Amino acid sequence: MKKDKSKRLSDWEKKFSKEVKIETSKQFFHETDEGININPLYTKEDLLGYTFNDIQTLPGEWPYTRGPKASMYTNRPWTVRQYAGFSTAEESNKFYRKNLEAGQMGLSVAFDLPTHRGYDSDDELVMGDVGKAGVAIDSVEDMKILFDGIPLDKMSVSMTMNGAVLPVLAAFIVAGEEQGLDRKVLSGTIQNDILKEFMVRNTYIYPPEPSMRLVADIIEYTAKEMPKFNSISISGYHMQEAGANNVQELAFTLADGMEYVRAALSKGLAVDDFAPRLSFFFAIGTDFFMEIAKLRAARTLWAKIMQDFGATNEKSLTLRTHCQTSGVSLTEKDPYNNIVRTSYEALSAVLGGTQSLHTNSFDEAIALPTEFSSRIARNTQLILQNETGVTNTVDPLAGSYFVEKLTEDICSAAWKIIEEVEEFGGMTKAVAAGMPKLSIEESATKKQAKIDSGKQVVVGVNKYKNPKEPKIDVLVIDNEKVREDQIKKITTLKIERDSKILEGHLSRITEAAKNNSGNLLALSIEAMRARGTVGEVSKALEDAFGRHYATNVGVSGVYGKFFEKDEKFMEIQNKIDTFEKENGRRPRVLIVKMGQDGHDRGAKIVATSFADLGFDIDMGPLFQSPKDVAKDAIENDVHAIGVSTLAAGHRTLVPELMKSLNAIDKNNKIIVFVGGVVPEQDYQFLYDNNVSAIFGPGTSILVSAEEVIKLISKKH
Amino acid sequence: MINLRDRIIAGERAAIAKAITLVESSREEDINHSHELISALIKSPGHAIRVGFSGPPGVGKSTFIESFGSHIVNKNFKLGVLAIDPSSNFTGGSILGDKTRMSEISKNENTFIRSTPSRGSLGGIAVGTREAAIILDAAGYDYIFIETVGVGQSEITAANLVDIFTLIVGPGSGDELQGIKKGITEYADIFIVNKNDGDLASQASRTASDYKSALSFYNKDNNELETQVVLVSSIENKGMDEVLNSFNKIVEFNKSNNRFESRRENQLAYWLEEEVRNKILLQLSKENGIPGLIENEVQRIISGETGFYSASKTIIDTFLGKK
Ligand code: B12
Ligand SMILES: Nc1nc2c(ncn2[C@@H]2O[C@H](COP(=O)(O)OP(=O)(O)OP(=O)(O)O)[C@@H](O)[C@H]2O)c(=O)[nH]1
Ligand SMILES: [Mg+2]
Repeated sequence: MKKDKSKRLSDWEKKFSKEVKIETSKQFFHETDEGININPLYTKEDLLGYTFNDIQTLPGEWPYTRGPKASMYTNRPWTVRQYAGFSTAEESNKFYRKNLEAGQMGLSVAFDLPTHRGYDSDDELVMGDVGKAGVAIDSVEDMKILFDGIPLDKMSVSMTMNGAVLPVLAAFIVAGEEQGLDRKVLSGTIQNDILKEFMVRNTYIYPPEPSMRLVADIIEYTAKEMPKFNSISISGYHMQEAGANNVQELAFTLADGMEYVRAALSKGLAVDDFAPRLSFFFAIGTDFFMEIAKLRAARTLWAKIMQDFGATNEKSLTLRTHCQTSGVSLTEKDPYNNIVRTSYEALSAVLGGTQSLHTNSFDEAIALPTEFSSRIARNTQLILQNETGVTNTVDPLAGSYFVEKLTEDICSAAWKIIEEVEEFGGMTKAVAAGMPKLSIEESATKKQAKIDSGKQVVVGVNKYKNPKEPKIDVLVIDNEKVREDQIKKITTLKIERDSKILEGHLSRITEAAKNNSGNLLALSIEAMRARGTVGEVSKALEDAFGRHYATNVGVSGVYGKFFEKDEKFMEIQNKIDTFEKENGRRPRVLIVKMGQDGHDRGAKIVATSFADLGFDIDMGPLFQSPKDVAKDAIENDVHAIGVSTLAAGHRTLVPELMKSLNAIDKNNKIIVFVGGVVPEQDYQFLYDNNVSAIFGPGTSILVSAEEVIKLISKKH
Repeated sequence: MINLRDRIIAGERAAIAKAITLVESSREEDINHSHELISALIKSPGHAIRVGFSGPPGVGKSTFIESFGSHIVNKNFKLGVLAIDPSSNFTGGSILGDKTRMSEISKNENTFIRSTPSRGSLGGIAVGTREAAIILDAAGYDYIFIETVGVGQSEITAANLVDIFTLIVGPGSGDELQGIKKGITEYADIFIVNKNDGDLASQASRTASDYKSALSFYNKDNNELETQVVLVSSIENKGMDEVLNSFNKIVEFNKSNNRFESRRENQLAYWLEEEVRNKILLQLSKENGIPGLIENEVQRIISGETGFYSASKTIIDTFLGKK
């Protein structure tokens, strides 16, 4: 029997209403984090009335919604590119070579935090951080070891480096040179995306304006000298990981891209001279269809943006991207679940048409990956490529009423934000005013509230908990040994080099930085070739530019709003009120980040939520030393210090903090607790150092707050 | 208490901190202890110059203190900072953010930096700020900076705490000039125009000259020092020497003609009166029978049994024991 369309729809509507027991399906939608409404049903009508998404177009055709290339994976699958690095160059090199043998296709280097922030491994300031969260690279010598036995003319290398981008890229170029290769043949990507560092990633060194000059100098140099090298990887990844929703991630990333295009144009380059070498980097979280649609929307909008910049080369118009599955979606609890999460996310990235992909390991929320966990992560992609058939068809979800509509919805929501940023005068101005950072922090805080209140389910964390958590092996890095090795290498380097020549190069860098003359990458190559260190070149630039200190305060009231009239929330508030009555003031907690660890999402969320609950919160700046923290804590007579540690510096930094506290006041009654990524293997060590409580990933704020007020009350 | 006093005078960091907690506390026994302590400390005053910084939110008070503070500390002065943080939250908690902008001076051995949540107390300062300054003075600090909450109208209380009262303003729209009424110039010894850098530089210097000419209208009588106007950039550390010179000028001038001391004496009178007023109010709200009487009188006014003014008189007379 044939029915007409509207009759069928109304029949469906009736059935639906009956099944879910509501008046109309219109009331039945799911609102995403982005504020987009997801309906229970999409039909052909949902394909109409679009502004951005033209569903008629084909892959490799303007505006490239369906893919930058016509053939996509049918010709060549995406590149399996796993981000890795730890300890010394020797150790990381061994690890890379094994991975390449096992099917990995491209390299992606993770540097340690001292390198990111422009400090050499022998710098006192970074004692706890050397080799911990990435590989320590101090000079060309280290860089050569890192790629020993890996031909840089054949292997494309991606480097996540932004702050100390000049000496590190320079060292890479010289390492290639000393492998006997002209820089013209080097292929790969340097992240070189400084704007998002100020927003969310926090490995900046210099203030925003001179930092933008470094970006432009690199784009200029590579456009002329390194035709196969991507001069920048414009990254939304870190924004989503810091808490941005997908629309924010997309909008701020594209707006960053526009800013970089302008910076390059200001160097006198023509748009098609450099735009083909701009690449992108997005995160792929658990919202399956949203992520697919995001990648399609990204390509659509970038084509439009670049056309407005006057680009005509097709390579300038197409957005090519690397993707990484979301680390923040992975849990410390019941960690094998993470393999499943990562698989879905990887599928999402592939259906969205990514050019390369990193899949996270299941021990993500515990420590750097082990050989075992890395293998599973890599194989997740290899199975997808070789066993599932997803590579046989280009953009297989095109024409899906839902995915097409979602693509359009994301485009228009992101475009609104981009227009706001433009009104601000572009991303540099918006970033300086703290606008994107604040809106991302607001989203992050909402997310935490949704999870803590159970509105959003995380399996194994706030529902379906595993009563018997498995024990898993973790990668342990002997940070003192790494530091010793690095110091030895630096000492030899400094003996063997000609310091006079080097000093000349370094002072030329400072001069050129001051006078806004010359190309700073070209000058850095000279200095690194003369065996300067990452720290020395960074210092030469700092002498001209100064160092940047962030001063952002954060949101307020966002967490509390979710818990109006919540019993647990009010119970804690009452405890705090009682404490105030008995003690003459509110419980006061100093929340700190020590060392070079720039993960501030957790610390900020805890700070704002604790304040909503009624605590007085002192918020330390990033990169404090244990000594500074102790002084701050004593002077403000806080009841407790909450150390937020995610980059594995706690084994050095926490004992130092205790020492410093006792040095100022050996009778102090300050309670110290620790939050963040702490492997279970470290718990006893911390307790032995007088840490009162440890709150790992996934701890509900209400749980930690209750424990903290209990501990403080007990002591006072 | 004596022990605490000695430790403060010896400059012991933890003792100073505990003492400030004591003077800020709302607990009855703490209040009594703090009175004892302050009375003891007042007997051995130091030599600190107390400087107040007021100005609208976000104008750069904390950033200025970071920059100017570094300048002072580099000249080997000891600096205490009392930052009254406005960021009180709807549930009563707060995030104290001023200090995140003072990370350089915080590290220095010769500083003591304390943040206090304002808790809505009036006048841009907090309960205990005056006493905290006394503690830092006794502990031997050369300068004590007080960052007030930028509240605009109620600078008088803050001004009565300090030897130099500073108003920080931004590259202005000119609207702020409306604020330079006769009243404020009486309290402000110096105007600092901040953010004289980058895109804002030209606007900042225009603002400074606007202030100068506006101030010349309201100038004080002949034997008073004219209100200083200094142009600075806190992020580029520009103008800090000029500020220090102006401070020195103000102090020297005031000391040379006895204004310095007489100002402190007037402030003492102000605070004594404040203290008495507050105590009476507190007593009034606690005195046996008074709160009930007030309620009762309100009802009697409403029902027409008595009038507003006679009700007031009845209450006061009862309170003072005349009835
Ligand atoms: C988000 C994230 C990022 C973001 C950070 C954004 C930001 N502004 O914070 C980005 C993408 C920028 C990033 C970058 C890097 N990251 Co990262 N990152 C993560 C990730 C995925 C989640 C962390 C997070 O924010 N979680 C959400 C928040 C809310 O949780 P949380 O901080 O754990 O806080 C909760 C509890 O721990 C506790 N808590 C925490 N602090 C406190 C404090 C108090 C007072 C209390 C009461 C409670 C408490 O309560 C909170 C609420 O539940 C973790 C892995 C993971 N899943 O944990 C890796 C991880 C921390 N990163 C890692 C690394 C190596 C890096 C890099 C150094 C990589 C590199 N070499 O370049 C960079 C450098 C960043 C930097 N500047 O330091 C490693 C660290 C390895 C280790 N510890 O051994 C991890 C563990 C991943 C891994 N397994 O490899 N990262
Ligand atoms: N361009 C420029 N910006 C400044 C300067 N001083 C402060 N700022 C910026 O102004 C903003 C507010 O600075 P704060 O020092 O927090 O201002 P504040 O008056 O202490 O603010 P509240 O304590 O919140 O009232 C920050 O973004 C500073 O970076 C300056 O000299 N030049
Ligand atoms: Mg301030």
